[in-house]
Amino acid sequence: MGFGDWFPFFGRKKEHRNNAEEFRALLASRHHHFRQLLSADGENHEIFTDIEEALRGERVYGMAFVRAACTKAGAATYRMIQHLDKLAPGKYTRLYEVFDEIRREIEPYIARKEFERGGPLVLDLSDVNREHTDLCGSKMATLGEAGQRLGLDIPGGFVITAEAYRHFMDRNDLQGTIEHMLQSVDKEDRDTLFQLTSRVMQVIMTAPLPEDLEREILAAHTRLMETEGEEVRAALRSSALGEDTERTTFAGQYSSVLNVDRDSLLDAYREVVASKYSMQALTYRLNRGIRHEDVAMCVGCMAMVEARSGGVAYSRSPVDSQDDSITVYSAWGLPRAVVDGSIETDIFTLSRSPLTVKDKTVAHKAEKYVCLPMEGTCRIENQENEDDPSLTDEQALQVARAALDIEAHFGLPQDVEWAITDDDGFKLLQCRPLPRSEGDEGLRTDRTVIDNLPEPLMSGGITASPGVAFGPVFKVGKDADALQFPEGAVMILAQALPRRAALLSRAAAVISERGGAAGHLANVAREFGVPALFSLRGAMNALENGQTITVDADNRSLFTNKVEALMEQERPRHNPMRGSPVRSALRNAARHIIRLRLLDPDSAEFRPRYCKTFHDIMRFCHETAVREMFDFGMSQDYGKSSSRQLICDVPKQFWVLNLDDGFSPDGQERTDSCVLMSQVESIPMRSLWAGMIAVPWEGPPPVNARGFLSVMFEATMNPNLAAGQASDFLMKNYFIISKNYCSLQSRFGFHFCNVESLVGDRPSENYARFNFKGGAANLERRVLRAKFLQEILESYDFRVKVREDNLLARLEGYGHSTMAHRLKVLGYLIIHTRQLDMVMADSQAVTRLRNKITEDLAQFKTEQAPAAREKAARA
Amino acid sequence: MQEMKVLLVDDEVDFTSAIQKRLARRGLTVKVAQSGEECLSSLEKFPADVVVLDMKMPGMDGLHTLREIKRRHPLVEVIMLTGHASMESAVEGMDQGAFHYLMKPADLDELVYKLEDACKRKEIRERKIRSTDNGEES
Repeated sequence: MGFGDWFPFFGRKKEHRNNAEEFRALLASRHHHFRQLLSADGENHEIFTDIEEALRGERVYGMAFVRAACTKAGAATYRMIQHLDKLAPGKYTRLYEVFDEIRREIEPYIARKEFERGGPLVLDLSDVNREHTDLCGSKMATLGEAGQRLGLDIPGGFVITAEAYRHFMDRNDLQGTIEHMLQSVDKEDRDTLFQLTSRVMQVIMTAPLPEDLEREILAAHTRLMETEGEEVRAALRSSALGEDTERTTFAGQYSSVLNVDRDSLLDAYREVVASKYSMQALTYRLNRGIRHEDVAMCVGCMAMVEARSGGVAYSRSPVDSQDDSITVYSAWGLPRAVVDGSIETDIFTLSRSPLTVKDKTVAHKAEKYVCLPMEGTCRIENQENEDDPSLTDEQALQVARAALDIEAHFGLPQDVEWAITDDDGFKLLQCRPLPRSEGDEGLRTDRTVIDNLPEPLMSGGITASPGVAFGPVFKVGKDADALQFPEGAVMILAQALPRRAALLSRAAAVISERGGAAGHLANVAREFGVPALFSLRGAMNALENGQTITVDADNRSLFTNKVEALMEQERPRHNPMRGSPVRSALRNAARHIIRLRLLDPDSAEFRPRYCKTFHDIMRFCHETAVREMFDFGMSQDYGKSSSRQLICDVPKQFWVLNLDDGFSPDGQERTDSCVLMSQVESIPMRSLWAGMIAVPWEGPPPVNARGFLSVMFEATMNPNLAAGQASDFLMKNYFIISKNYCSLQSRFGFHFCNVESLVGDRPSENYARFNFKGGAANLERRVLRAKFLQEILESYDFRVKVREDNLLARLEGYGHSTMAHRLKVLGYLIIHTRQLDMVMADSQAVTRLRNKITEDLAQFKTEQAPAAREKAARA
Repeated sequence: MQEMKVLLVDDEVDFTSAIQKRLARRGLTVKVAQSGEECLSSLEKFPADVVVLDMKMPGMDGLHTLREIKRRHPLVEVIMLTGHASMESAVEGMDQGAFHYLMKPADLDELVYKLEDACKRKEIRERKIRSTDNGEES
């Protein structure tokens, strides 16, 4: 439907017809397209702000955000091209091609990854080694490798592969369903996110498995029964793929299901897969910038080891990079007690060479985890050997030796999970590189250098993650507390539960009554650089919610209020998204979106083919649309009725072009090609004008009696210039208006300024834009002036960018009265800062001017003080 | 502006019923269809000004439905609303004449603004057709 075909209005046969209605319809249509173009421009500005915030690390985001932001920017840019095409049919169609080229540059960064498909659904663990990382996840591949190459005893079992996972996700488009659910919620809202994750997990746990997958899993289990006996129980552990970028651990963020019989095997598999979307896993990936789609859940299914004792060993200290001793954490029963931070553990410290037990702390182990006779595990009381060491020194040496062997083989410090069986056999259950805190300076426990350190409120415990922090206490006892957790609080826990990792990115520090440096939560705290002090008995009772404390995790102490001397030791928190796949996707895409090359509309390069980014296109469309509106308005048939001189103190100074509904009916009726300010109904123009005439300009040069404006705009005082020439757009002071719109282009002398504003009933679409550059003074002074203006504008909530002497300010999202006030401020500034560049070198004169401007502006009434109220649209 | 008539097309019943209620509270007349096919048959009876169209539905997908709407009812405006970001389908949709492309979760104010704007466009196009017809006759 070629509605655009009506636009070539001039010179057609209808010219002679007295067809006012058709003309008005055309006018309304053009104005509509222009407004829609401006609205898309505004949307893009908002999207760009979001992208910039994200790149600066001021928000947490995943691929859903990256894709949505790029897509929205693309859609808005494309709409601008379409609307411009309606205003000037066929004139700028090159933009479509340019857009396509840019889109093709962006698309690879946001494309959903296509994985190479094929390969087995299930692999026996005895056949798995390091080369199977892409199929089995690094956890299972490493375990298989340690079994095959180092001769360490590992449990029998099999791996349900990444191929199996993708096969499962393809079934009924499970992946698409989940992505859709994730896209559609507000991730800032923790309640909503919590409900969402539950729903997603539910969807996975109730989804049927593909038949061939089901068959293969059960067949592998049958083989396991043949080697381990009919009664074999399985332990299902996650071995996720795709998150093992450097420095990420993903400690304990997924489920393991222990002691599972054959009947529950498939449900347990689905449960582990579903834990990919648990609240803590989702939050972790968001915080680390890991793409959900890259994470394939491989699941290891191994014969359950009936552990007499078990635990974790670190081949180096995780908190102190200077410390190369080996630490073995051990408890009675299953190692679970050590990793989930719920039970106190024995700690053996061993020196590296010669390998000997240096130190040993035996905890009171009143509870332990055991397998239930039927299925699952439970924590039971332990009264037979609660105060005995859970390992002999020989066993501790055996564990440490295994840890060192693994470290030597893989070349990185290791975190090793192990068990000792009833027949004194050592089993390796899991191993992975040990994530370490950033920075190499090690722990800083020497506080004697600090004078007047107050008495600690509490001290003791174990450094689970080094650092110093300050904040209000917030106790998290139950999940409902977690949803309330305030940004920047010190989290106090009874147990170091792994699922509390979801709060770490918001916490200043973590204190737990139980748990040690070997737990999952401690791992993630180190990864995020959050100071953590664990095993601090009595913390829950001793501290009150809201009380502010300083946490010195290095030196294991808490202090009341803020201890400035200690806070000087605070280490900068690294942005955990840096270098992540999500961040680099956004950064790469943003290069083609938010960069701006086309700065000068008068340059020869201000053409479609020089547009290299969406921002360039947007800038081009915006500028060109205003000019097209102007040219159309000035065209001969039309110009007589709509282009007027403004009758004011200074005749022939200002012209007003009415796009649609900017004049009152009596203004419209005038036949003298003039208009009175009182006949102008443009809301933004009236506000701007009010500012321009509010205070007479006093500054040099002196003003004559006729009016201050004549001096201002001398360069355009050429009465010989007749209205109707296209160059008027550049040469004269034109207001282009409608009821809710105003654009003022001014060139006076060497100065250039442009104000554009939309003020209507929708606060979220309102904006004011101000561009100012040029001047007669040298560049240095012009730059100073731009900075001077920047300061003033920022105090009135404008976002300001200054490039050399070019100042670009923007404000958006306010209601009518605030917009009116800010426009008045702009109007004032246009007049009163024009020749500021001349005095910029004289600091006394600058101060005088600044005071004068501040005083003048303070007289402009506003309903609320600037910067002190929330933006209406964002509320 | 007379009362806006809106047809919501989405296979997610929870979503459509929530939006339907909230839009109705703002004085809009809102009908719901759960598929592209149902949308097209509804349009035969219900003279919608604007269709809010999900892109991903079982059966006839969003783009296909959009094409059919524009073929049968060229003056009806269409706003695409999707949970699945895709620049390609956004551009294709706008090439087919869609008025706007929104992503879920859409802010209700924003949706209402776009509905108003789409209605305005529909009015303007109708007015132009009327004025041209008159012009032709005179």
